[in-house]
Amino acid sequence: MNEKISRMHFFFVVKHHRSKDLSRAQISNFPHPHLSLFVFFSVPQPSLCGATMRKAEGGILLRLLLLFMLHATGTSYSPPGKPTLTRCRSPEKETFTCWWEPGSDGGLPTKYALYYRKENSDKVFECPDYRTAGENSCFFNKNDTSVWVNYNITVVATNALGRTFSDPVDIDVVYIVKPNPPENLALTVLWDQTWPYLHVSWESPQKADTRSGWITLIYELRIKLEDEDEWEEHPAGQQKTFNIFSLCSGGKYLVQVRCKPDHGFWSEWSSSQYVKVPEYFNREKSMWVLAVIFSAFALFIITWLIHMNCHNLKQCILPSVPGPKIKGFDEQLLKDGKSMDAFSSLVGANFPPTTTNYEDLLVEYLEVFVPEERELMLEETKELHNDSLKFENSTSDCDSGRGSCDSHTLLIDKSEEEKGQQPDQQSSEIKMDGKGQDEEDKYLTCSPENVDSHQLSSEKVKTWPSSFSPLPEYSPIPLQQPNSHETSKQPCLSDSLFAAGPLPSHFPHLGHNTKDEIGSSYWQFGISNKQLHLLHQQMEAHQQLQAHKNASVSNIGHLQLPSVRFTEYVEVQRVSDQNMVILHPVPSHPETSYPDWHQTEEYSKVKCVDNDNGLLLLQREGVEEGMDMCSYEELPESDPSKTTNTTFTSPCSQPAPSVQDERVVGGYVETSVFTLPTY
Amino acid sequence: LKREIKKIISAVWVGIICLVFSSRLSTMKAASICPNDQTGCHLLPLANLFDRVIQHSARMHGISDDLHSEFELYFLPSKNQIGRVSRNCHTSTILTPNGKENAQRIAREELAEIILKLLVAWRDPLWHFHQSMSQHDEFTNFSSNKSLEMSDMVHELRKGVLKVVEKMQMLGIISNSVGDTGSPEALLTSDSAEWRFMKDYDLLYCFRRDSNKIQNYLKILKCRIVPKHGC
Repeated sequence: MNEKISRMHFFFVVKHHRSKDLSRAQISNFPHPHLSLFVFFSVPQPSLCGATMRKAEGGILLRLLLLFMLHATGTSYSPPGKPTLTRCRSPEKETFTCWWEPGSDGGLPTKYALYYRKENSDKVFECPDYRTAGENSCFFNKNDTSVWVNYNITVVATNALGRTFSDPVDIDVVYIVKPNPPENLALTVLWDQTWPYLHVSWESPQKADTRSGWITLIYELRIKLEDEDEWEEHPAGQQKTFNIFSLCSGGKYLVQVRCKPDHGFWSEWSSSQYVKVPEYFNREKSMWVLAVIFSAFALFIITWLIHMNCHNLKQCILPSVPGPKIKGFDEQLLKDGKSMDAFSSLVGANFPPTTTNYEDLLVEYLEVFVPEERELMLEETKELHNDSLKFENSTSDCDSGRGSCDSHTLLIDKSEEEKGQQPDQQSSEIKMDGKGQDEEDKYLTCSPENVDSHQLSSEKVKTWPSSFSPLPEYSPIPLQQPNSHETSKQPCLSDSLFAAGPLPSHFPHLGHNTKDEIGSSYWQFGISNKQLHLLHQQMEAHQQLQAHKNASVSNIGHLQLPSVRFTEYVEVQRVSDQNMVILHPVPSHPETSYPDWHQTEEYSKVKCVDNDNGLLLLQREGVEEGMDMCSYEELPESDPSKTTNTTFTSPCSQPAPSVQDERVVGGYVETSVFTLPTY
Repeated sequence: LKREIKKIISAVWVGIICLVFSSRLSTMKAASICPNDQTGCHLLPLANLFDRVIQHSARMHGISDDLHSEFELYFLPSKNQIGRVSRNCHTSTILTPNGKENAQRIAREELAEIILKLLVAWRDPLWHFHQSMSQHDEFTNFSSNKSLEMSDMVHELRKGVLKVVEKMQMLGIISNSVGDTGSPEALLTSDSAEWRFMKDYDLLYCFRRDSNKIQNYLKILKCRIVPKHGC
C-alpha cells in the first residue's frame, strides 16, 4: 500500500495518451485541503510484474481518495456531458468529415473519441484522423470511405469520472454531399445590337469530379445592384454560363453562384463579382414615356369635349323619361280640387257594376247524373291512424267531365236504402271488396259519436254558389278524425283518394292550400248498409290538401238561394219535414271565412247518410262542362233533434223527388262543409 | 348553306395541312443525322439513348426517394442500433463498386452487367411490394400509384439498358460478352426468396440505394463511352 502511494507521481499536465492502458486522471490529497491538483497517474508497466492485483487495489483506493477529496473541497465534478454529432459532410462523394459538439466537460479534462461501424459488420473502428478537419472533427479519407454503405457513428466523451456516449448517427455518404462553391466566376458585358447584356460564366468546384460522371451538379446564380437589398435568383441547370438582360444603364451589379449535386445540399455562395454596365440609351423607356404623354393628352381632350357638349350628350345617351299619362284624366282638375270631375272620365260604362246579374256570371253548369252505381268503400286498415289512408282507386272516371250523377260516388237515397238493404244497393256504399259490415274494423263508420265528438254542431256547413264563389272555409264536418277512431274506419270511396288527416286542425290549412290550387279535397261519405258512414273528410295528410279547382258550377241560379249574393257559402237553415235541406246563405263569419277558396270545390256529392241522418257530403272535383243539376232529394231524417252536422242531398237516383226551393243540385252540392244547425 | 361552306373550307384546310406534313415527313427521312460527318457524330444517337436512360433512372430514384420519406413519416422505424444493423439487402450478394476509383477501374462490360443484374433483381420484389401496398388501406392512392410506377419503371429501364448495350455492341464499343436475360436471372434464382422476408421499409431503403447506384453507374458508363456529349 505504501509502496503504491510512493509510486504516485504528481503531474500538472494532462497529456493524451494513445495507449490502450487505462489512464486515469486522479486527484490525490495534498496537505492543503483547499488545493486540488490533478494528478496523472500512470502505472509504468514493466515495473509491475504481477501487479494487477495491486493495480486494482490501488485503483479503488485512489478512487476513494478522489471521492473524499471531492467531498472535502466542495467543488462539483461530474462525468462529461453528452456530446452530439452535429453534421457530417462530403465535398465530393469520396471523403467525408463529421463534426461534433462537446457537452459539458464536468470540470475535468475530457477526451473525445469517435467510433464507427460499417453496415452489417460488428467490428468497431476508431476515427482515423482527428486533425485534418479541425477541432472536434473526424476526417475519413478515400480509403476509409465507402459509398452506399451505412455508417453508424458514435462519439464518446471521457473524463476522470466516466464516459458518456453520444446518440449514434447513421449516414450514407451519398446523401451528405455538399460541394464547394463554383470557381472562377467571370462577368462580361456583351452587346446585342444596341442593347448590353451580361454574360456570366463559372467552373465547377475543383474537387467535384463532374467529368467522369461521378457527380452531377446543378447551378444557381443571383444578381443584384450594388445598392439594393434583394437578390434576383436564376437557376441555371447544368450549364456553366448564363446571360442576363435588361440591365440598368450605368448600374453596378454583384453576381454570385452556387451549386448542388442531384441529391445533396447546396454549396455556399461564391464570392461576389462586380460589373459595371456602361451607359446606353434606353429606347424602350423613352417610347413608353412618349406613349403615356400622348394618351394623357388625348384623354384630356376627350374630357374637355364631353364637358362642352354635356347637355347634348346627356340627351343622346340618357333620354328623359316621359311622365305618366292617363287617358281622359285631366291633371288640372285634380289640382283644382275637383276630384269627382277628374275621375269622371275614368269611369266607364261598366264600372262599377250596378246590376247584379248572376246569371251572367255563370260559367258552368252542373251536370246531373242519376246515380246508379254503388259507392265504393275504401278499406281502412288500422294503420291508418296516421294520416295516410289508402284508398283503392275507384274505377270511376271522376274527371270524365260528365260530372254525372251516374257516378258511383253519388249519394243514394238513404232513407230507403239504408234500411235493411244490403250494401250492394245503389244507394248504399258498398265496399269495394264487398266486405261485410261486420268488419267494422275496416270500415269507416259514420258514427254519430264521432260526429259529436268533434263538436260539429258548432260548425257550419256552407255551400256556396258556383262561379266565382270561393270555397267557404271548411269546418270539419261530420267526419271523423281517423286518429280518434278506435276502430279503423273506412272512408267511403270516392273518385279521388285522399289520405285523411286530422281534420279540424287542418282546416286552416285547407284555406291555404286551396289558395295554391292543389288538388281536390274530397269528403267522402260512405253509407253503409244501415248506417250512415261518416266519411272523413279525406284530405291528404297534413298539408297536402288537394283543393281542386273547380270550374264553377252554376249552381246559384238553380239554387235560387233566396238571399244569396256573393256569398260564399250557404248555410243549412233547416230541415224540412220532408227531410229536405234548405240552404241559406250565411253571412260570412270572420273566423270562418276563407275567401281564398275560390273556385275550388263547388259541389259535392252526398256520399252517405249516417245513422243519425247526417249527411256526408262528398266534395268532388268540379266538372267543367255543363252539368245538369240533380235535384234535391228528400232525405229522411229520423232524428232531427240530434245534432247532426251533415246535411244531405239526396242522390240523383231519384230525380223525381221534389226539390224544395228549387234547388237542383242533384247529387252535387257545392259545399265545403255541411253542418246542420241544431234545432 | 353557310355551315356547309364552312365545313368544306375546314376540310380543305385539313387536307392541305396533311399534304404539307406528309411531304415534310417524307423529306425528313431522307435527311441524315450527321450531315457534315463530324467526328464522333455517329455516336450521337448513342449519347441520346444514354441521356434518355439516365433521365429514366433519375426519375425512378426520385420516386423511390419520395416513397421512402413517406414511409419514414408513417412508420418511423425503431432507432435502435440492432434494428438497423440487421438490415441486409437481398442485392448485397451482387458485388458493386463502392467508390469512384473502383467504378472507373472495372470494365465497361462488367459495369453494364452489374446494372442489368440490379434491375433484374428488383423486378419481383417491387411487384410484390406494390401488391402489398395496394392491399393496405392506410396507404393513400398516391403512394400506391407511385409503387406501381416504380415497378413499371424497373421493367422499362431494363429494356432501355438492354437497348443501349445492344447499340454499344453494334458499334463495337463493348464486346458481346455482356450477359443477356439468361445469366443474371439464373444468378438470382438461388436467393430469390430472400427479399420476401424483408419488411416494407427495408425494401424501400434498399431500393432507394440501389436506384441511386444504377443512376450513378449509368452516368459513369456514359462518360466513359461518349465523353464529349455533356459530361
